[in-house]
Amino acid sequence: MGAELGKYKSCVSARSTDKEILKGAQDGGIVTSLFAYALEAGIIDGAIVAGKGDLPWKPEPVVATTRAELLAARGTRYNISPNMSLIKEVTRSYGLDKVGIVGTPCQMQAVRKAQLYPFGLREVGDKIALAVGIFCMENFPYQSVLQLVEDHAAMKMESVKKMEIGKGKFWVFGERGQVVQLPLKVTHKYEQPGCHVCLDYVANMADISTGSVGSPDGWSTIFVRSKIGDSVWAKAMAAGCFETKPMETVKPGLELVTKLANEKISKNRKTLEERASFGTGKGLRNPYL
Amino acid sequence: MSKVVEISPTTRHEGHSKLVLKVNDAGIIETGNWCSITPVRGVERLAVGKSMEQVPKIASRVCGICPIAHTLAGIESMEASIKCEIPRDAHLLRVILQCANRLHSHALHNILTLPDMYLPGTDMKINPFSPEEPVRSVAKRLQRIREIGQTIGEIAGGEAIHPSNPRVGGMYKACSPRAKTKMYDLAKEGLVLAHAQMEFMIAILRNYQKRDWAEVGGAKIAIPKDLGYHSQGYLATDPVYGSSSLDECPTWDYSRFKESRPWDWYMGEMEVSLEDPKYPVGGTTKMGTKVNPQMEACTGVPCYDGAPVEVGPRARMVKFKNFDEKGTIGQQVARQMEYPDCLTAMISAIDEYNPAAKVVADYIPQGDGSMGWAANEAPRGTDVHLAKVKDGRVQWYSMLVPTTWNFATCSAALTGAPWQLAEVVVRGYDPCVSCATHMIVIDEDNRIVAQKLIQ
Repeated sequence: MGAELGKYKSCVSARSTDKEILKGAQDGGIVTSLFAYALEAGIIDGAIVAGKGDLPWKPEPVVATTRAELLAARGTRYNISPNMSLIKEVTRSYGLDKVGIVGTPCQMQAVRKAQLYPFGLREVGDKIALAVGIFCMENFPYQSVLQLVEDHAAMKMESVKKMEIGKGKFWVFGERGQVVQLPLKVTHKYEQPGCHVCLDYVANMADISTGSVGSPDGWSTIFVRSKIGDSVWAKAMAAGCFETKPMETVKPGLELVTKLANEKISKNRKTLEERASFGTGKGLRNPYL
Repeated sequence: MSKVVEISPTTRHEGHSKLVLKVNDAGIIETGNWCSITPVRGVERLAVGKSMEQVPKIASRVCGICPIAHTLAGIESMEASIKCEIPRDAHLLRVILQCANRLHSHALHNILTLPDMYLPGTDMKINPFSPEEPVRSVAKRLQRIREIGQTIGEIAGGEAIHPSNPRVGGMYKACSPRAKTKMYDLAKEGLVLAHAQMEFMIAILRNYQKRDWAEVGGAKIAIPKDLGYHSQGYLATDPVYGSSSLDECPTWDYSRFKESRPWDWYMGEMEVSLEDPKYPVGGTTKMGTKVNPQMEACTGVPCYDGAPVEVGPRARMVKFKNFDEKGTIGQQVARQMEYPDCLTAMISAIDEYNPAAKVVADYIPQGDGSMGWAANEAPRGTDVHLAKVKDGRVQWYSMLVPTTWNFATCSAALTGAPWQLAEVVVRGYDPCVSCATHMIVIDEDNRIVAQKLIQ
């Protein structure tokens, strides 16, 4: 296909040099390190991140304005965190002028759309200083994760230490050392149906996008996409925030990213085509065609 | 013999209005009628049956210049009806919001009114969009003042136009400590600019007062020394914020208010008999055109103690600060003098505000249908909203907005002025016409009459 990875200026494999951040990070601690550096350097005043919600493993968008608040939000919680819901409030009662935001590809699309057509978002677009996207195959509602963990993996949500999707499996690691792996074909029916029309795997619209796929364990793959992303990444590198390896030298490398991106796109395009012909003569509006 | 001239529409203010003037041979106004011709919005009818949360938000949509005043007056009339006391810090946020609104509205009015004025020492009128100094830096200062007002409004109110944060029972969101600091810094910056702007505007206004003539449509028109004088009273409820029926000592009295019909007040059908094609912009109405202010006016005429009153900056200054200058220029000077006031009031409210405190009342009653009113001192005058709420639903709603009060007063103030300067007098009131098209008329027995106009 060729366009599956979007436009990017550079692509590397990286991990944070900050031991404290790495300790609780999902993979390379990229998002936390990047925002921590941007906060310190004054590039952003604060960032909208997926913090801890009122239920175990339920994320809730929070505005982190200190390193400690960023650290508290480390790691991936595999269900929806509506980060965009705070994008206006953050410029209002939180009083931020330079906002960082992290999100899935669809959320990055929303960021750009909000900047381009700012309906109901007066004086918001120009305050978005750094948008970091994360790779995303699909997402789950909280109820789905609850079912996967408590029914399929037979573990209480409170006793889960980490969740991960990798090597074709959904992994649940428990506090007492239990490890449960669920084949992805089990998890498919729990995905939110809205994800099945998305043609973006690697957050094409972000300033910088990152995810574990393509890099070895404990490392992350990085796409630096925009001018802003390029300048922030260069400054963060100069400040020694990350160690990197050229993408060509790591396994499984860009090939796997490309393969998965293509898989997502071709699978979802089928859903789109089905939806376009859904209902005789009155196909539902297809946002991508 | 008197002639009739009509200026329609009037320009450089919000909304649609027109002037129908009966003038003598020298062109001096004998009877002036200034009437709103903006169609009735029907917000008061729309409100009936809606929830008390919805109505103030709908009411604020009546206009985009002082939606903050309408939101606050609307919400507080609901709170007055259900008898809900709000936390101290929610009130402080509302005061900040109120001052932010007044700041940016006064700055906007400067832009609208400056083209009537002259650069001191010259016969050149001011074009606020001119790239030349000193006008350029004044325009930039005005823009910055407006930006400051709107940004503070956004932080405290969620949005500078149609604020989303105020709610029945307080505010939805408290401001963070960071937001508080940001508002404080902006207000401090604004105070310096506002002082400078006030001094500039007063110098320009005093210069106009000293002039003998003003140029209108190529003709030199003599400026009378009593331009815009009237003998009506003043109504203001507070120097900054307002009052409501919940207050221990309310400063507005519902029983002293009565509304009369426009055709008891305005002139009847006439024919235009004077025309000036050179009058800016595009000339006055053609000779022979039929005019009928009685039927065309889309407002009621509210009276306080049986007579129209003036509301607005001068009314506030007269009532609370012993200001005594009359006429259009006096009114304009009073407006400029409010600049630093709204920033100092804002700064003390920000100072007092505690970001950690609660901003919503613990208990919000749903109302028993009793009448509550709230008066908000909008930039252009007292904005009174009246409501009856029962079980969370609005049963009756009425908006008594600033320019409605001023229509009849300003019409009286036109007498004695050359008709070419009538618009200068009108602009002195900073009219905001669209919300003033309020049309519920009751007779002596408080029965609704004039049903055909309401429909």
